[in-house]
Formats: sequence, C-alpha cells, structure tokens
Amino acid sequence: MTDARLLIEVRHVDKCFAGTGTQALKDVSLSIHAGEVICIVGPSGCGKSTLLRTLNVLEPVSAGEVWIEGVSVHARGARLDRLRTKVGMVFQQFNLFPHLDVLENLMLAPVKVLRQPVATVRARALALLEQVGLADKARSRPGQLSGGQQQRVAIARALCMQPDVMLFDEPTSALDPEMVGEVLDVMRDLALKGMTMCIVTHEMVFARAVGTRAVFMEAGSIVWQDAPERFFSNPENARLRAFLGQAG
Amino acid sequence: MGHLAAAIVVLAVGLSLYYASRQIDYEWRWERVPHYLVETGGTEIPAPFDGTVKFAPDGQSLTLTPLLGGGEPVTVAGFDRIEVSDGDIVFAGNTLGREHGWSAGPLAIGLWMTLKISLASLVFALILGLVVGLGRVSRRVVSRDLAALYVEVIRGTPLLVQIFIFYFFIGTVLSLSAFAAGVAALSVFTAAYIAEIVRGGIEAVPRGQTEAARSLGMSAFQAMRHVVLPQALRSTSPALAGQFINLIKDSSLVSIMALTDLTKAGREVVSSTFSPFEVWFCVALLYLALTGTLSFAVRRLERRLDRHD
Repeated sequence: MTDARLLIEVRHVDKCFAGTGTQALKDVSLSIHAGEVICIVGPSGCGKSTLLRTLNVLEPVSAGEVWIEGVSVHARGARLDRLRTKVGMVFQQFNLFPHLDVLENLMLAPVKVLRQPVATVRARALALLEQVGLADKARSRPGQLSGGQQQRVAIARALCMQPDVMLFDEPTSALDPEMVGEVLDVMRDLALKGMTMCIVTHEMVFARAVGTRAVFMEAGSIVWQDAPERFFSNPENARLRAFLGQAG
Repeated sequence: MGHLAAAIVVLAVGLSLYYASRQIDYEWRWERVPHYLVETGGTEIPAPFDGTVKFAPDGQSLTLTPLLGGGEPVTVAGFDRIEVSDGDIVFAGNTLGREHGWSAGPLAIGLWMTLKISLASLVFALILGLVVGLGRVSRRVVSRDLAALYVEVIRGTPLLVQIFIFYFFIGTVLSLSAFAAGVAALSVFTAAYIAEIVRGGIEAVPRGQTEAARSLGMSAFQAMRHVVLPQALRSTSPALAGQFINLIKDSSLVSIMALTDLTKAGREVVSSTFSPFEVWFCVALLYLALTGTLSFAVRRLERRLDRHD
C-alpha cells in the first residue's frame, strides 16, 4: 500500500469553531492512498464528519496542513475549486439540486466546471445511472425519488466528475432501514471497481467487509487505526473495545 | 354560498354609492369617457408650407401653390374630409383636412407612458435589486455594509421625496430627461425592496446546496448562479410579483414631474372636462387592468414551473 499514489494527506490538523470555541479536531494526521477504502467510525460529535470535510476543504483548518494530490491547499494561489473536482463527496442529506432533474444534476458540474462537451457528459451520466440502477429515473425530479434513490443519484453525481477519491459523510444515516442496503450495494460495487474511498459510517458490518483500513476517532483525535479484521474482531485498544461493545 | 354573499355585499356597496351620488348635483357623462381613450375625430393633415389652395376636379385632392418666391406646387391627397375652401390662403401647420380613423386619446397615451416607465423601471430594478441582494449576503464586509446602507436609506425615505431629489437634483446635475429621472427614481426605490426579497430567498436555500455545489468544484459564483439563485428566485416569485405590482402603482407618483403618465393624463382630462368622477374611476380601472394582467401572467408562469417539479 505504501507505494500507491498518495491522494490526500492531512498533517497535524486542528479545527476550532470560531463561534462556540469548541475544538473539533486535535492534531489529526491521516493519509489516503490510491485504492484504499478507509472507514472512519466513532461516537457522534467526535469530529469524524469535520475531518472528512477538511479533506476537500469544505471546512478550512485552524492549524496543520492539507495536501490534495501533492498540492498544499494553503499555498498562495492554490486553486481550491480545481482541487475539489478531483474529490467527490456524498452527503448525509443527499443535497441533490431540487430544481434540476436527475440527469441535469449529474451533468451540471462536468459541463459548467470541467467544460466537457454535453454529448460526452450525457453518455457518461446515463451509464452511471445504469450503474446505480436508476436508468429509468433520468428525467425525474429529486423530490419524486425515495431517500435511497436520491442517495444513489448523489453518488452518481459525484462520480460523473470522474474523481480520484470519493468521500462519504454518513451516507446511510438519513435513510429508512429498508433503503440502507441498496446504497451500501452501490458503494460495495464501487470499492470492488477499485475506487479510493473514505467513509464516515455507523455500518460496522459494511466497514468490516469492504474497508481496507478502519479508523477510530474520539473527542477530535484519531485514537486507533488498523486493518478491519483485527480492528473489529480483536481490538487492541481499550477505548475502541468500549465503543464497539456499545455499538454492538 | 360564500361567493354569493360576497357578491351581495359588493352590489349593496355599489348601489348605496350610486344613490349617494344621486343626492349631489352632479351630471354623469359616462358616454364621454370612451373619447378620452380613443379619439374618432381623425388625424389632422397640416399644410406643409404657406400657400394657396386649389381644388382638384375630383374633389379628393388639392394642390398647394407656395405664396412667395414660387417653387413647385404640391399635391396633397388622402383626405376623408377637406376643411378649407377653394382659393384659401393657408399657413404652414394649418389644418387642410382630416383623415378618418382612430387615434389614441389622452388616457390611452398616458397608459402607454405608464406602461413604458413601469417596464423600464422593472428591468433596472430587477438588475439593481439582484446586485444589492447579493451584496447583502456577500462574504465581504464592504459589500454587506454598502448594501445594508442602501436598503436603509431608500426604505427610510418617502418615494415622493426621492422623486423630487432625482428630478430636481440628480436630474439637473446629470441633465437627465424627465423620463430617465422617473425611471431612475422608481428603479432605485423598488430595487431596495427586491434586494430584501432576494436576500430572504437566498438565505432560505439550505446550506447543503452550496456545499454540494462547491464539493463538485464550482466556484462561489457558479454555485450562486446555477444552484442557489434559481431556487431562491423560484421561491420568491410571489413576493417579486407583488413588488412589480407595487411598482406599477408607485409609477403614478412620477406624474408630479413633466411626464404625462396615466395619472397626469387623468388630471389633464379632468381639468378640461369637469368630469372628475368618471375620469378617476376610469383611471383606476386602467391601473387595475395593468396590475391584474401582470398577476395573471405571473400565476400562469408559476403553474407552468410547478408542473415541472
């Protein structure tokens, strides 16, 4: 794994929220190499979503460094918009654009940001909808879809930018239980195809089956990381053991 | 049932107004009102220069021979009625005769001016309101301060006073025409309200929309242009339509300048006919027709957009 390409790296990152003064991240370092599927688990409020959002600089850090594809985001003249096109993100609340139909949701950024030809983007978008099992919903509005379908569209929308790495922020937490499976299936598919992924999740079974590395966060720090097999069945850290005991 | 009750109330109010008006000494001349809208008297055909009239044998045209120093006689035709006699001497601009047909009456001309000034102001108010509204939600403190100041100043002073300032001060300094000054005053005034509507609409769009757009690599401008603003404008379209209707009504205030809009035309017709009751009712109805058409069009547009959702 060490010789694989380094896609995102954060070094000694702190994050304080100005309004409340709470420190969400304390001296966090994490690197994501090509081909990895990193699952971040931890109690709510431990900073795992904040960490994920620093990875594409949706959340600027208070201290420390963030590197995307070898470029420091703090460098003067760093083009954050350009860097973000390499990093796809899927949100807990889907955040589809309600005024556009499904196909337009997928096509908007590749056409407007990457300035790719419409025909090329359309063909790719339709293929992606096929891949997530929603080819027949191309002309539907997000409001007409179930939560699970919306999240699959959101994944396809991020993929349509052809990113090098995909970030998932609790992608199944807002879903009814019967829809969790369809979204996890799409993500498993993606992992098998070799996509680099970083997933904040409460789905331990999924994390263990699909992940290549598991990361445990607590109180704004990374407490433990390990291969999923050992991480889940034989955790060598007392706090992780306590967390997994609670989480069942 | 409710509709019937409402109709009865309206009828009762109308009848009592009618009987009240019978008590005063006023002669209603409704039959005159159409003439203020459309003149059927025909268009005048003026003499192009000073000259002597000579009828043609067919009686349909005449030749005008210049009085002084000669020059070629000119044939004037196309009359429906000739109002000079054979051998008359006429001067440039005198009426030779009339061409039948309709021409716009003073109220129709005023209505057209109101429509023109409203439409022009609407376009500028929308652009300016959008800019100021975006300034209100900008990350830059300078933009936020300036936009807030603009809104406070404009909303805190009467439109009538603003019109005076635009007409007498700014209009003089920049040598604006009355029309330009009127459009400027109305646009600046309405833009302050549109800015607040736009700001509210933008703030009502969930943060997640901007974050999703930015995570796809869009710049702040692109996220606003393609994601936030379309949703904000859609959700605020009833409020914007209300503001446009206000704009049409507020345009009546420009009649204090040398601009003959619908209200000014009404005043001029009243002063020459002494039929204030009919004329003002007629003017009110014309405003109602304008605003009614606008709100009908907006409702149609909204229903069309809803069908796509």
